[in-house]
Amino acid sequence: MSSLTISGRHPLSPFGITPKVVILVLILGIGTIPPLLFLIFASVHSFNPDGSFAEMTLAHFHEIFTSRAFFTSLFNSVVYSFGSALLALAIGAAQAWLAERTDAPFRQWLYVTAIISLGIPYVLYIVAWLLFLGKAGSVNQLLAFLFGGTGPYINVNSLGGMIFIEGMLWSPLAFLLLSSVFRNADAAFEEAATMCGASLPATLRHVTFGMAQPALFALALLVFIKASESFEVPALVGLPGGTRVVTTTVYQRLTLDMPPSVGSASALGVLLLVVMAVLLHFYGRLSAQAHRFRTVTGKGFRPRVIRLGRWRYPVTVLIALIPIVVVIIPLVTIIWAALLPFYQPFSIDGLSRLRLTNFIQVLTSPSARGAVFNSLVLGAATATLVTALGAVAGWCVARRVTGGRLIDALAALPLVFPAIVLGLAYLQILVHGVALYGTLLSLILVSAVAYIPYGLRYAQLGVIQIHPELEEAAGIAGAGYPSTFVRVVLPLLVPALISCWLFVFLLAVRAMALVLLLAGPESQVVAVSLFDLWNNGPIGEVAALGFVWTVIMTFFSVAFFVLARRYQLPIG
Amino acid sequence: MLRVDDLTKTYMLGDRSVAGGVRHVSFDVAAGEFYTLLGPSGCGKTTTLRAIAGLEEPSEGRIDIDGRVVFNSATGAFVAANQRNIGMVFQSYAVWPHMTVFDNVAFPLRMSRSRRYGESDIRAKVEHTLETMGLAAFASRSAAQLSGGQQQRLSLARALVAEPRLLLLDEPLSNLDALLREQMRSELRRLQQDIGVTAIYVTHDQAEALALSDRVAVMRDGAIVQVGTPKQVYYTPADEFVATFIGRSNLLHGRIDRDVAPNTQAIVQSAIGPVICTFADSAPAAHPVLAMIRPEHLVLAPADAAPGAARGPNHFSGRIANVAFLGETTEYTVRVAETEIIVRMPAGELVGGADVTVLLPPDRTLGVSNPAAAKI
Ligand SMILES: Nc1ncnc2c1ncn2[C@@H]1O[C@H](COP(=O)(O)OP(=O)(O)O)[C@@H](O)[C@H]1O
Ligand SMILES: [Mg+2]
Repeated sequence: MSSLTISGRHPLSPFGITPKVVILVLILGIGTIPPLLFLIFASVHSFNPDGSFAEMTLAHFHEIFTSRAFFTSLFNSVVYSFGSALLALAIGAAQAWLAERTDAPFRQWLYVTAIISLGIPYVLYIVAWLLFLGKAGSVNQLLAFLFGGTGPYINVNSLGGMIFIEGMLWSPLAFLLLSSVFRNADAAFEEAATMCGASLPATLRHVTFGMAQPALFALALLVFIKASESFEVPALVGLPGGTRVVTTTVYQRLTLDMPPSVGSASALGVLLLVVMAVLLHFYGRLSAQAHRFRTVTGKGFRPRVIRLGRWRYPVTVLIALIPIVVVIIPLVTIIWAALLPFYQPFSIDGLSRLRLTNFIQVLTSPSARGAVFNSLVLGAATATLVTALGAVAGWCVARRVTGGRLIDALAALPLVFPAIVLGLAYLQILVHGVALYGTLLSLILVSAVAYIPYGLRYAQLGVIQIHPELEEAAGIAGAGYPSTFVRVVLPLLVPALISCWLFVFLLAVRAMALVLLLAGPESQVVAVSLFDLWNNGPIGEVAALGFVWTVIMTFFSVAFFVLARRYQLPIG
Repeated sequence: MLRVDDLTKTYMLGDRSVAGGVRHVSFDVAAGEFYTLLGPSGCGKTTTLRAIAGLEEPSEGRIDIDGRVVFNSATGAFVAANQRNIGMVFQSYAVWPHMTVFDNVAFPLRMSRSRRYGESDIRAKVEHTLETMGLAAFASRSAAQLSGGQQQRLSLARALVAEPRLLLLDEPLSNLDALLREQMRSELRRLQQDIGVTAIYVTHDQAEALALSDRVAVMRDGAIVQVGTPKQVYYTPADEFVATFIGRSNLLHGRIDRDVAPNTQAIVQSAIGPVICTFADSAPAAHPVLAMIRPEHLVLAPADAAPGAARGPNHFSGRIANVAFLGETTEYTVRVAETEIIVRMPAGELVGGADVTVLLPPDRTLGVSNPAAAKI
C-alpha cells in the first residue's frame, strides 16, 4: 500500500488501467480528437462540388502564404490583440491595486461592476459601444457640436475601436484575476522596502508591481491569446470598417465565398491552432512562475492598506469613472435604444418617444422566447455535462491514476481551438457524418467539448484540497472505488462543482462564435439571435432582448461570485 | 539611544470596540545594547516593534531615536518609516523573490536619501556585507532559490548594509529548524557585537532571550512586567507570570505573619510547612505571598542519610513519585505533603518510591508579594 502511494499512484486503483479510465479516455477522445483530424484533413484536400473531399493538396496553404490579404489580417490580429491586452491589463491592474491595497473610497463598487459586466453577452456589449461611439452616436454628435462640422470625428470601425472595446470587455476579468494576486501578497514585502528607505512610488514600482510582474505578464499573454482567437469584436466592429483579422477571415471564407472555401478556412484554422498551442505553452510556463512567488510568503501576515491621503480625491474620480465606462454607459445606451422605436443618440426630445414596444415585441415573440429557452437549455446542459465529466476526470488527474496524464492532455486539447475554428471543425463533422446538424443537441455537445478544460481544472483544484487519507479511510472502512467517490469525494467537492457549473453556464450562453456556424433555425440561441438581429433587424429589438437577457444572467454571475469568494475558488 | 515613553496602541475592531495592542509601555535602550522583548504570542511585542519602526502609528506616547523625536502624540510629530533609518528583519524574512541576492542587499543603498551612493560604492558595500554573511557565492542568484537559513542571512544583510544605528528583529529565528536556530543565535549575537548596532529583538522563546540579550523586557497582555538582565529575570522573577514563563519554577502559595523589608529573609507559611524565603522587595503582611524556587536549586538526599535529628530548617520529607532521565540532568518529581515539587540534579541512585529529604536553600528560595492571588 505505502509503496504504491510513494510511486504516485492512487491506492484505490493499484492495478494499472481500469475500465473506468478507459471509458473516460474514450469519451474525451471522441470529443476532442475528431475536430483536430477533420480540420487538418480538410486543410490538405480539395473539394468536389458536392462538398466531399477530392484529392490531397497543399494549395490552400500555398494560397494563404502568397496572399497579401493574409499578412494584412495577421498584422491586424497582432496589433489588435496586443493593444487589447495592454489596455485590459492597465485598467485591470490599476483597479486591482486600488481595491486590494488602498483605502480608496467606494472601492468595493469595482467588484460589483466587474460581476455585473460578466453577465452581459459579448454581442450586446459590443452593440452598446457601437451605438455610443458610432457615426450617429452620442460621442460623435457631441464632438460635432463642440467643434462644428459634421464629422464623424471618431471612427469606431477601426483597429483603435476594436482595441478599445475588446480591452473594455476583458478589463473586469483582468481586474478579478489580479485582485487575488494583490490580496495574497504579504504586506511584509512592501514594508521591508519602506524600512529600506523607499518612498511609496518606489515601493510600488520595485516591489508591489515588481513582484506581480510574472502574474501581469501571464495575464497579458492570456488576454492576448483570448483576443487573437476572439471573433465577436472583429466581426461586429472590424468587418463593417473593412478591418479583417485572422478569425474573421476564416468566417468570411465560409460565408462570403460561393461555394464556401472550406479548405482554405481550415488551413487558416490549422495555422491559428499552431500559434495558439505555442502561446498556451508559454502561458503555462509563465503562470507557473507567477505562482512560485506566492509560496514564499511566511508567517506574520498582516493585511495592510495604504493610506492615499490627498490622492483620495483624484482616485475617487477614477473609481467613479470605471463603473461608468465599463457598465453604465453600455447599459444605459442599451436601455435607451430598447425604448426607442428608431435609434437616435441621447437627446431631450428623444425622451418623449420612449416606449415599451420593443420589450413587448421581444417578450411576446415566439422566436425570441425560443432563443431564451434554447440558451438556458444549452447553458444548463453544457454545464451539467462538463461538471460531471470534469469531476471524474479532475479526480483522476489530481490523484494521478494510471492514464491520468492522457486524460489531462485530451481534456486540455480544446483550449488550442479558437471558438470559430472549433465551430468550423465540428461543422464538417456534422455535415459529413453525424445526423445532428442544426440541432440543439449538437450545440450542447460541441459546447461541452469546448469547455471541458475548465471543468477539469475546477474539479482538479477541488480534489487537491481533499486529503487523500479521507478516501483511504473510506477504502479501509470497506467502501469500494465508486462508492468512495460518490460518498466521500463528491460531497466535499460540491462547492467547487457548483462554481464550475455556474462558470461554464455563463461561458456557454455568453459566447457567440462557437455556435454561430452550427445553430440552425430550430436551435437559435440568444447570442446568435442578437448577432443576426443586429445585422438585419431593428436595433431596438436587439437592445430589448439583450437587456432582458442581461438581467437574467446577472443573477447567475452574482451567485457564481458569492460562491467562488466563499470557497476561494478561481474565477478564470 | 532609543526611548519609548508611555506608548499606547490599540486596535479598533470592526464593531468599533477597542482591543489588543499595547498600553502605557515605557523603556530605554542604551547604544550598542541587545534588548529583547519577550512574551507569549499576542502580548504586543510586534505592535511595539512596528511602532518603533514607524509602520504603525501609535495612539499615544512618544518615541525618540538617537535624540530625535520620531513620534509624539502631544505635538503630532510623526517621522515616516522610510525616513527613520532603521534596519528591520521580518519574521517571514520578506526577501524579494523577484530580485537577485545582490539587488536585495543593494536596495537600501539605492533608496538612501541621506547619502548618494555611486554604483562602485554600492558594489563594494554589498559585496562586503554578503561576504560577512557568508552569501558571497550566491550574489547573482535569485533570492527565491535560497534555503530558509540563507534567506534569513540575506534579510539580515539587507537590514545592515546601510549601517543603521538601530536594528529591529521580529522573531527572526522562529522559521528555522532547531539546529540552524542555535547556530544562527550565536552568530547573530557575535555580529551585533562586532558591528555595535543597537538591537531590539522580539521573541516568545525564553531560551533565545536569555542567551542573546543584554537586557530583557518581559511582556504580558500589552504591558511590560519586568525589565532586567537575563540573570535578573531568571533568578529574581518579579511575579508568578515571569517565574513560570521563563524556565521552570516550583511555586508555593502562602502567607507571612509580619511586613517584610527588602533584601531580608522571612518565614512563609505554605502548604508544605514553614519555608524561609529571601525577599528582594518589601511585602506587606496583608497580602498573600509566593515562594519560588528553580528545580536545579533544590537539594535531594535519601531519607536515611539525614536522620530526623540532623534536619535543619527548610528540609522536608517526601517520596519520589517519578523519575525522568533527561540526559544532562535527571528530573525528579517529589511528593511533599500532597504538593509536587520538581527537582533537577545530575543522575544519581535515587529511584521511584524512595523516601527522600528535600532542601530548599533559603538564599535560593525567593519570596514575592502576590496580591493577585488574594482576588481569586
Ligand atoms: N491589525 C490588528 N487589528 C486588531 N488587533 C490586532 C492587530 N494587530 C495586532 N492585534 C492584536 O494586538 C495584540 C498584540 O499583537 P502582536 O503585537 O502581534 O502580538 P505578538 O507579536 O506579541 O504576538 C494581539 O492581541 C492581536 O490580536
Ligand atoms: Mg509577533
